[in-house]
Amino acid sequence: MRVLIPSALHAYTGRPWVEAAGGTVGEILDDLERQFPGIRFRMIDEQGNIRRHIRLFYRREMVFDLATPLADDEELMIVQALSGG
Amino acid sequence: MTDDQLLRYSRHILLDALGIEGQARILASHALIVGAGGLGSPAALYLASAGVGKITLVDDDSVDFTNLQRQILHTQARVGMAKAESGRQALAAINPEIAVVPLQQRLSGPALDALVATADIVLDCTDNFATRHAINRACVHHKKPLVSGAAIRFDGQISVYDLRRDDAPCYHCLFPEGDDVEEVRCAVMGVFAPLTGIVGTMQAAEALKLAAGIGQSLSGRLLLLDALDMEWRTVRFRKDPACAVCGPTAAGQAPGYLPRPDADRESAGGVCRPG
Repeated sequence: MRVLIPSALHAYTGRPWVEAAGGTVGEILDDLERQFPGIRFRMIDEQGNIRRHIRLFYRREMVFDLATPLADDEELMIVQALSGG
Repeated sequence: MTDDQLLRYSRHILLDALGIEGQARILASHALIVGAGGLGSPAALYLASAGVGKITLVDDDSVDFTNLQRQILHTQARVGMAKAESGRQALAAINPEIAVVPLQQRLSGPALDALVATADIVLDCTDNFATRHAINRACVHHKKPLVSGAAIRFDGQISVYDLRRDDAPCYHCLFPEGDDVEEVRCAVMGVFAPLTGIVGTMQAAEALKLAAGIGQSLSGRLLLLDALDMEWRTVRFRKDPACAVCGPTAAGQAPGYLPRPDADRESAGGVCRPG
């Protein structure tokens, strides 16, 4: 599925949209880690929780559970809080 | 409304949704703008030109040469002047009929609380997460609508937290405060000049709609702008029933302020100085 990467993590991917394979949010993040080593830890902490400044959106709604099933033809949007003003 | 006001705001009054009544509500409003930088500049200019009756403009910083690329409240002649005063001069030049209160201070604690209590609408145009969360807590506490914008590099975010409504999510529902937050500084990362204009102008639009009581606000929606591809995206979010800021509190305790030692902490290192 298509995954939108926040620009703060473009250093890993080199582009805003990437393809990742997996049937759940967790599997998608695992596949991102395989493709772009180090990127998962920027989004998921040591306890396996989504970091507080990172929010995941699927079908425009926020996703909290890494076990949430995803359809391959949809998009996962990874959003990072911005503070610049 | 005076004849001058009817003329000055005639293009607003012509709008069916706004009319004389909506403009009168705008004229009677008090907006608190925290931050007179990239976002606060266009936001303040539009609120002033559109006739918001009282604007409190807060910024502890002074105009720096590197601000002029995007902070259109300020001029090269005013480099070194307090941003709040420079902003007051810019707003007075456009609309001398409104009251502008410039405050050169870093808002926190009781001062922030007192100002939010007196405002009708709060615009978060700040550059660091600690202040953003402090403003959110005060707005939750006083049930004030908060119009929040952020811009860095080519990325913008904007939302409204309409805390007058009990079912509306707050900033903490969307991005909970945490110690591992990555502060991205514009002084390091850069920011595209008109991006701050786009986001700050949208904050002004949302604030004016709230003041006039018209339309549908961005409450529960976060708009994301990728200015490099010039694409807007919308995502939705809800009130977190267990939110530590706007969620249930012990009996008799007003929401917004938590019994925590660092509730009003300011980030010392994570501040994007030149705005």
